[in-house]
Formats: sequence, structure tokens, C-alpha cells
Amino acid sequence: MAFFRDAKPAAALAAVLAGLPWASNDFTTYQIALFLVYGMAAQGVALCWGRLGFLSLGHALFFGLGAYLSGGVLRAASNEALWYLLLPLAIAAPALLAYLIARVVFARSTRSGPYFSLITLALTILGFLAAQQWSGLTGGFNGMADIPELPGTSRYETLYWVIAACAVGSTLALSLLVARPIGVVWEAIAQNEDRLQLLGYATDRIKALAFAGSALLTSLAGALFAAHQGIVTPQAMGFVLSTELVIWAAVGGKASALGPLLGATIVGYASAELREQLPYWEAAVATLFIGVVLFLPDGVAGLMRRGQAPRRASAGQAKPVRRPFAPAASLALAEVQTGQSGVRILDGLSLGLQGPGIRCIIGPNGAGKTSMFNLITGRLPLLGGSVRLNGHDIGGQPAWRVARQGIGRKMQVPSVFPALSVRENLGLALWAGRAHGTDLLCLATLGWQTPLLTDILGQFQALSERLDNPAGNLAQGHRQALELAMTLLPEPGLVLLDEPCAGLSPAETHHMIQAIQSLVLRIGAAALLIEHDMSAVDALGGEVYVLHQGRLLEQGPLAQIQASSAVRAIYAGGRK
Amino acid sequence: MDSGTVLHALNLAYELATLALTTLGLAIVFGLLGVMNMAHGEFVMMGAYAAVTVQQWGLPLITAVPLAVVVCGGLGYAVERWLIRPLYARPFDTLLATWALAMLLRKLVEAIFGRGYRNVESALTQPTLILGSPYPVYRLALIVFTLAVMAGLFVWYRQSAAGLRVRAMTANPILAQALGIPTRRLASQAFVIGVVLAGLSGVLLAPLIRIEPGIGVDYLLDAFFVLVVGGLGTLGGLFGGVGIIGGAQAITSSIAGQTSGYAVVLMISIVFLWLKPDGLFSRR
Amino acid sequence: MSLTFTNIVCGYGDTLVVKGVSGQVQAGRALAIVGRNGVGKSTLLKGLAGLLPLAQGQLIWGGRDITGSALHTRVAQGMAYTPQDNVVFAELSVAENLWLHLDDRDADRYTELFEQFPLLARRQSQRSGSLSGGERKLLAFTRTLGLRPKLALLDEPTEGVQPENIDRMAHLIRQRKSTGASFLIVEQNLEFVSAFADDVIVLDHGEQVLQGALADLGRERIERHLVV
Repeated sequence: MAFFRDAKPAAALAAVLAGLPWASNDFTTYQIALFLVYGMAAQGVALCWGRLGFLSLGHALFFGLGAYLSGGVLRAASNEALWYLLLPLAIAAPALLAYLIARVVFARSTRSGPYFSLITLALTILGFLAAQQWSGLTGGFNGMADIPELPGTSRYETLYWVIAACAVGSTLALSLLVARPIGVVWEAIAQNEDRLQLLGYATDRIKALAFAGSALLTSLAGALFAAHQGIVTPQAMGFVLSTELVIWAAVGGKASALGPLLGATIVGYASAELREQLPYWEAAVATLFIGVVLFLPDGVAGLMRRGQAPRRASAGQAKPVRRPFAPAASLALAEVQTGQSGVRILDGLSLGLQGPGIRCIIGPNGAGKTSMFNLITGRLPLLGGSVRLNGHDIGGQPAWRVARQGIGRKMQVPSVFPALSVRENLGLALWAGRAHGTDLLCLATLGWQTPLLTDILGQFQALSERLDNPAGNLAQGHRQALELAMTLLPEPGLVLLDEPCAGLSPAETHHMIQAIQSLVLRIGAAALLIEHDMSAVDALGGEVYVLHQGRLLEQGPLAQIQASSAVRAIYAGGRK
Repeated sequence: MDSGTVLHALNLAYELATLALTTLGLAIVFGLLGVMNMAHGEFVMMGAYAAVTVQQWGLPLITAVPLAVVVCGGLGYAVERWLIRPLYARPFDTLLATWALAMLLRKLVEAIFGRGYRNVESALTQPTLILGSPYPVYRLALIVFTLAVMAGLFVWYRQSAAGLRVRAMTANPILAQALGIPTRRLASQAFVIGVVLAGLSGVLLAPLIRIEPGIGVDYLLDAFFVLVVGGLGTLGGLFGGVGIIGGAQAITSSIAGQTSGYAVVLMISIVFLWLKPDGLFSRR
Repeated sequence: MSLTFTNIVCGYGDTLVVKGVSGQVQAGRALAIVGRNGVGKSTLLKGLAGLLPLAQGQLIWGGRDITGSALHTRVAQGMAYTPQDNVVFAELSVAENLWLHLDDRDADRYTELFEQFPLLARRQSQRSGSLSGGERKLLAFTRTLGLRPKLALLDEPTEGVQPENIDRMAHLIRQRKSTGASFLIVEQNLEFVSAFADDVIVLDHGEQVLQGALADLGRERIERHLVV
């Protein structure tokens, strides 16, 4: 059922493209085929930009590479048929290059987006220069000519059907992917990549894979281009075409599978006709682009598509999924030092805990409590000392790798995926550590349940009543509950909660504390809780750690802490 | 010293000077203010076209200077006010919006002037003898002028609080405001000065380059790579970046061609982004 | 000049944190705003300083209504605000932090302050980000007093500061008060506050639960609101 719903855009496209040759003449059909090819390339740009939130300003590099490589293979194959076997490789090679580039650039930080765009731009210009200079390979400025037709097709007739089939295929594939869990993961990356890493998703790899996929699509388009035109010039690789791909994706609609095809065929086709006649045409298109960027971010397709149906798996597919982590961790920090921008934040912090149960961390502002959590979860560099989880050294590892070892973190300011529904937010937490291989490509995964999830929804009615609401619309208290749920759903061995009661009324605080107690007990985890509210600390019981100026001052039961003169001194007068 | 070496040295000096001049504006807008202005190269291009325009009008070349100042300054003010200011905290959106602007400026210039190459004549492009080798006077003048500008900048940056204030307010706008620094006004001024400097560098280079609407992208990328490698917000970063990027490009190009020179610059920049994202001389 | 604030309501986005607080600081007097963590003290100060827009309320300074005036114009009007965190420009040196916002280099500005805090005088060329948290707070305090404001709004100025320096800070505040300067201070440290504050407002959950002269209220009564 879901398949047919998701396939609607592709079906509509297929109907239109099937009817086109009957409705118009051969030449128009030939031209439309060209812009379908460009449209597929633009779909590649739109996938990364509209879904994952990073923009390739040089995507024509892969178009041109696919075109040149396939063109070369086709030419060689006209002499020796064995060359045809290399055609898939010619299309796939640019995708491999794309993967490598993206892995290198994204591995550094989650904020590499703008630099990525710059690098892709530089690469496409480099490609253009190389295509011009290495004329032995590429035919230089005049291009690679005399590319024969694709075997079994004729350029002006049957090739259209191949191109149309590919366009329908790519639209279908994109629509299907977006409707599946991987589509949720992609959107989550665009909205809050840091949070996704804290759940254990290796976002740089996911982005690189998506980029490789988009490059594959664009490269395929390039191969079709070579077969269609019979000639490939350096313009197929340059930044002018790259820019046009971005414009078509934007105007057509970067968040839709069909949008870029619309953009390419309408804007591209019109431009090809009107460019010479109207001197200010291109300036007008650029103005249109600015307008779309500023005011109509979802393009024409966004206007047409109102009220998208929410993703939903077939009902009643509760699959109990096993727990990925061992319970109750041990944590040992030894003489830990960390800082940022030259500011020393933790200065020889030593702290240890073992076994299940909730402990509290208190201390004046600036003592380093949140920074300690940041250090453990890999957001601050380890400048000295060691951090051991279950005896393993986790110092200096990236955030997602640390999370995968069984640490859950709840942030000081509740961090969720605001444009995704509550259900999808919970789903992302549920899939973390449990979804393997092709699980993220299956609709069934959308319906996964665990007993813990049922328990959580039972304790927080507000969430179960708002499963289809966007998480960004939740009130503060409900957002805290949602983030707590997301932190606990992977059932980590160590849970780090940073002021879970911040901004809550006394009644909400009471409820939250009770929920935390019962849920942590249920999963048997060790929990560390940063709190200011002493009544909450008292209600939780357990060991209390006092941090001061980046070090551990004292630890013990709350009564001992409250009686300690050293602790009183640092709160200097304001007794707690 | 044989004429070949002299020529090489002068050419290298010329490349570095050009790079320094065209990067300066972005060093302020991106290095100090933190704005990824993808239209930076287009301001350089517009400065060059200002020279083309005054030549068309039969005016002396020097009148291109006030023209470039007015056009770039006015446009810069409007862009900062309505395009950049709403997007200060969102670097990706700033990149996108300024890229769109760059596109628009390119197309407008294309529509007005056509896509063909233009040239600007100057009497000063005649060669003179330097240590026995002929070399265009204009290029020599440019090198000397650039050195003077950099020296002046060095002195001024040390004395004046303006650059310091811009950097400080980019890092901590609330504190800057709490100390009475008018951050909006300062940001606008810094941006306008940055794009005007870009435009002026275009005027200066006009007699020496082939002018066409698409030249901006190369200047943009070179300037960004200089800043990425050299480091943001410091003069040492600007000089260091120019030296490394300019030097690597010039040397590689003379050995293996323009494409390889470009490739080497790109690789160096990627390595820096990977290993030392703050660049060489950033004060962190 | 005196500051009068009436029925201040402010917060972040839809969440209202401060729900109707009123008070007054006259020339040469100090008002302390105390309360447990999370009750809205910092938010109130941000609203008074002009950092946060006020949903409701009025602010009158020296007889003029300055409600809604921008933060950076307040310094010229004689008000100086020090935030709770990110109190220095970490990339810049101590000296640059002390001078970059000033147009003159009147050496006298900091003489007395350097006498009280010689460590700052010694470390003028040090990157302020490499100072400890308390030292950065001290730097911020020095910088604010160096502005010679008529009213200083300080958010937890003693956090992380060594006890000896806290005493010196109190001493300096008392001294400035005697020259007519006023202070509006958010603090958790009652010991510090008792050394110079004239009036106190106690906040709880964004509301004003106690106010009056410190002498009248007495420390014990105030402390009861701070202990849970």
C-alpha cells in the first residue's frame, strides 16, 4: 500500500513521458530528453541539499566525468565489444571519487558544510581546466566527438525511452528512499546533526554515502548525455553547468523527487530558447533564484504539494528488538584536562563510578559539570588524563563512536529534531544501535517497538498524545520528556542527564524525577545527573559529586555534602 | 643575476601582489567579520568593469576609482543591510544567498557588457628596464604599491582598535554591545570597506588582465584558500597565506601548467582544512 | 541618577521566566537580586540591561524612559552591564580587553584597580582565555569599574573568584558607592552581598517573594528562601 502512495510522482511522470512523443514532434521530444538528463543530474544536487542540508556547488564534475568516461568506453566499444563491460564502471567511478571527497571533508566537524561547498566548486573548476588541458584524453577545448549510440538504441528515437525510463526510475527510487527510515535519518542530519551523533549515528559516513549516491545518479545522467549528444565538451564539467543544476533544483523544488526534473525542463528549456533573444533573461533567472532562496525554499514543487502524508508503517507490526548494550557501565576519569580556544575548563578531574544507580553532580556555575559531559561524549578534546568506560579508553574518540559504546546524553537545552514528528524522533532513538544493514531501507522498521518505549509512553501521556506533532511545537516540559525518552530508548549502560528538570514547574519536576528513577532502574543503567534543584537531588538519593573549578571537590551522600564546610565555602554563604 | 631569474622573481612578486590585493577585502569580510561572501570575486570584477566604463566614456583611468567606490560601496551597504544581516548566525544560508547574488551580478554585467573579453589601455603598461630586463612599468608600480599598502596596513592595524573591535564583536557580540560597541554599525562599515577594497583591487588590475564577467570565481576561491591556509583575522595570516598559496601556484604552474598549479593549491587547502582548520596564524 | 523598574516581564520566545518584578536603585546605593538557581535572576538582569526585549514593564533611568533602548547605547547613558558567562574576549589579551572599547588611554583609569588586583597588572599581555574562570571574572569586574559607570549591572561577579579577591571587590564597591555610583547585582553569595548591599529582592520561580532593605529583612529570613 505504502509503495503505491510513494510511487505516485513517478507514475505521473511516466504517464506524461509516455504520452509526450504522441503529442509533439521528434525534435521537441529529443530536446525534452536532453533536459530530462539534466534534470536527473539536478536530482542528485537536490538529494543532498534538500534532504541532508549540504550543497554541492560543483556537481557537474560528476556529470562531466560520467559523460567523458562513458563516451570513451562507447567509442572504444565500437571497435571491441568487450569494452561495453566497462560501462557500469565508467558510471560508478565518479561516485567513488565523491565518496572519498565527502569522507575527507565531513570527518572533521559537523560544521563543514560551507567549506564543502567551496571545495566542490574548486573541484569542478579543476575538472574544467583538466578537460581543456589534457586534450589527448578528452579532445581538449573541442571536446570528445563521435560518440556512438548506446547499443540497441537509436539516438533520435528509442534513446528517448531509455532516458524516460531512467528518469522515472530515479524519481521512484528517490521517493521510496525518502519515505523510509533512511529518509528520516537524512532529514535528522539536516536539522540537528550533533544530536544524531550523540545517538551513535556515524553522520559523516551517512553524508558521504548519500553524496556518493547523488554522484552516481548525476554520473548516470552524464553517460546518457554522452549517448544523447554524441559529443562531450569541457562545459559538461564546468561551474556554469554546476550553477544551473543548483538553480533548477531550487526553482523546481529541492525537497521533492520530481521538482528538479520540473526545474530543468521548464527553466532549462526556456533558457535554451530565450537566452539569445532576451539579453536580460539570465539576470531574470538569477533574480528568480534569489527570490526562491529567500522566500520559497521548497520551490515550485513545494507550492504544489500541500499536506504531505506522514510516514507510517503498516499497522500492528510490533517487533520486539533486542537490546544492543550491556547493562550498568563503569566510568573512570583520571586527572582529566580539557579546554577550548585556550581556555582551561577541566583541570585534573578524577571521578569514578560503577554499577547501576543514579548519582548527582552539583557545583557552582562554571565548575565544569556540563563540560565533563562534553568531554566524555567526545565534544571537548582530551588534553590530559584518561577517560575509561568499562575499562576501555574512550578519550579522543568522535561523538558517535563514544555513543555506540553505550553512553546516552541528554543536553542542557533540550535538543530534538524540531521538524520531525515525535514518533520519528523516538524512532531515530529506537533504531540507534539496533538497525543494521538494510533495516533503514525497510518500511517495517518504522513500526519497531520495545517494551521500554511502551513504558515511556505510558509514563508521559503528553508524548503519546502528540506522536504526529512536530517536535519543535512541544512545550518545554514535553520537549524535556521527549529528549529523555530518546536518551533512554537505546538502553545505554551509562546515562548522562544534564539538568533534566530545567524550566519545569514543581509538579513537572516531581513527575520527571519519578520517571527517571523508574526508567533508569528498569534498564539497569548507571546514571549521572547534573542538578541545581536540591529537593530533586534529595529525592533521588544516591551518591553526590561536587565539582569546583574543574576538579572534584568532594563526594558522598547528600547529608555529608550539606554538612561539609569545604562545600559551604565554595557556595560561600549561600548555603544549600 | 641573469635576466631569466630577474624576470621570474618579478613575476612571482607580481603574482603575490595581485593575490594580496584581491584577498584583502575578503580578509576583512570573512577573516574579521566571519561572513562567507561568495560574491567577493564579483566585486573585484565590477571594479575592473568600472575601468572599462570610464574608458568607454573617454575619461582618464583614475576616475574609475570613485566610480568603483560608489558602486561597490552602495551595493555593499544594501547587501549587508538586507541580505547578510538577517543571516548572521547561519553561515550556510549566507553562503547560499551571496552565491545567488554573485550569479545575479555576473548575469547583469553580461547583459550590459556582453560576454566577450574587454581590455583597458594604460600608458603605463609600456616596459621599462629593470636590471637589464624589460618589464612593464605598471606591474612594477603595482608591486611597489602593494608593498606600501601592506606596510601601511601593518602599522595601522597595530594602532587602531577598529580591526580589534570587529574581531571581538564577531566572537562575542553580546559582550561587545555591553561595552558600548555599536555592533550593527561596525559590521556594516566593515563589510562596505571590505567590498570597496575588492572593487579597488579590480580597478588596479584592470589594465593587466583580460576582463570578462566570469573572472570573479577564481579570485573568490584563491582568496578563500589564502585565508583558510593563512588563518583568519590576523595580518600574519594574510601574508602567510598569500606566500604559501601564491608561491605554490606560481611555482607549480611554471613547471607543470596551470591545471597542476590549481590542483596543488586545492590539495594544500584541503590538507589544511583537515589538519589545521584554524590556519597558520590565527590567534586561537 | 536612579533606576526604577516596574512590573518587568520577560523571557525567551514563548517561555516567560520573569513574571512581574519591580524595584528601584538610587544613586550611591546597591540593590542585590538573590535566589536559587534557575529562578530568573540572570534573565531579569538581561531584561534590565536591554539584552532581552521586555514583554511588559517600564524602565526609567535618570527620569527618562529607556524601555526598549538598545544595549550598546546604555554605556553612553552611564549604565554598564557585565554578563554571567563569556565575560571576556578570550582571543584577546588582558590589556586589549581593558582598552579596546575605550577611545582614550587615560592611564589613571585602572591604577587603583591594578593596586587591588596586581595579578591583572602582571599579566597584561596574556591571552585572557588562558586565565582561570575566576580570574576572567575579575578581569570583567575591573573592566566594568574602569568605565566609571553611574550604575553597574553585574551578574554573579564573584563566581569562581578567590575569597581574598572577593573581599577586595566588596571594598571597591563600597568605595564607589560613596562617590555616588549605584550597583544592581545578581548573586548567590550572601556573604559578599551583605558587605555592601542596601536593598534586596528575593526571586523564586520568576516572582518577587521578598524585598526590602537588607537591614530590615535580616540575613536569616533571606537565607530561608535560598535553602530548599
